[in-house]
Amino acid sequence: MSDDDTGQDRAAQLRQALADCAAGREGGIAAILEIEGRQLLGVAQRMLSRRDLAEEALQDAMVQVWRKAANLRPDGGSARGWIYAILRNRCLNILRDGRRLAILPPADLALVQEARQQIVPEENWEILSGPGKLRQCLGGLDGQSRQVILLAYVAGFSHGEIAARQNMPLGTAKSLIRRGLSALKECLS
Amino acid sequence: MTGLSDDILDLASDYVLGLMPESEARLFEEIIERDPELARLVGALRDQLLPLDLSAPPQDLSDGFVARVQAGLETDKQAHSVAEPETDMSPRSANSNRAPSGSVLGLIAAAVVGLAVGFGAGWLRPLPEPQVIAVLLDDQGVPQAVVEDYGNDTASVRFVADIDVPADRSLQVWTLPSPEIGATSLGVLDRTAPTRLSFEDLPGPTAQQLYEVTLEPAGGSPTGRPTGPIIGKGFAAPQV
Repeated sequence: MSDDDTGQDRAAQLRQALADCAAGREGGIAAILEIEGRQLLGVAQRMLSRRDLAEEALQDAMVQVWRKAANLRPDGGSARGWIYAILRNRCLNILRDGRRLAILPPADLALVQEARQQIVPEENWEILSGPGKLRQCLGGLDGQSRQVILLAYVAGFSHGEIAARQNMPLGTAKSLIRRGLSALKECLS
Repeated sequence: MTGLSDDILDLASDYVLGLMPESEARLFEEIIERDPELARLVGALRDQLLPLDLSAPPQDLSDGFVARVQAGLETDKQAHSVAEPETDMSPRSANSNRAPSGSVLGLIAAAVVGLAVGFGAGWLRPLPEPQVIAVLLDDQGVPQAVVEDYGNDTASVRFVADIDVPADRSLQVWTLPSPEIGATSLGVLDRTAPTRLSFEDLPGPTAQQLYEVTLEPAGGSPTGRPTGPIIGKGFAAPQV
């Protein structure tokens, strides 16, 4: 089976799984976890660095998928992209919920923050983008634009965190991200 | 080419990158659900960036994880059957101290209208243009609901936060057309689904008219005036 066939096969399975969720059949969630669970947990683990938080994010995400599947618009991109977006949003909620992270012992919290600093390396960023057009287009951006886009998307940093980390004013960080993303979209289209 | 404004395109970028505060993201999702062009754009950008997610090293699920998730769904179903669940992990509690900035709220409210022209829930039925829109905020400034008043004794309400409605309580939507008329009920709801409201003989809505949602005894306020805690309130912004 070619990669394309595999991809189409998976897309059809995910659509069916979401249709099952929308109809209230719990097998839909089990099917999504069967197809994408390991990768989804990988995304959460990379962003949150703690296994317990990653599992919590994935579990929360599946509840959201379950509740929202019936509202999914057929023209709003792939089912796969939608599911990953929900997971990323749950991870961001955990990262940005001061009270949520405050229950971690200080040493553990320091580890989470420390690990986040390492997610997007200045060198060898290519490992983050997989093969293909996205990698090529990211490669065409200037280093600073690329870095801030990856910090936001991959590591889940906020505008303020990115500005502080890159040692630039907030407004500069925002416009750098927007300009970079706009150039990226241009290249991808 | 796209008919979407640069502001909306920038918001879409922030949304997909995960840079939008949760309370704004909730409102933005409302817009996405109503605008096919924006939904396509957001979906396309997501799909283009998806390889970044697929580059994370996969992690094996723990034994019993799938069963735990499914048990959680079972609880969720039961919770839904009596009330909208609000867990401590909800985005609202996570961000209750972070109100969206006024400019973004205004922009989003404007966008809700700009994009809503013609179509509403289900995309099948053209809706009239609302005469006013009110974004109802809680006492922390976090958006809870959006009321659109069409000026012909109909309005719609959509909730943009998880609101816990106990089994023995109802939500009631109110407006204050004038001090003489006093607070007038626009409708009673038992859950936070988007709802069309029909009422009778109110004057057309005006700028700065107050709208609010309160939590009342099941079936609505016994006195015909708001008695319960305010879930959210806001002032009408004229749209025509």
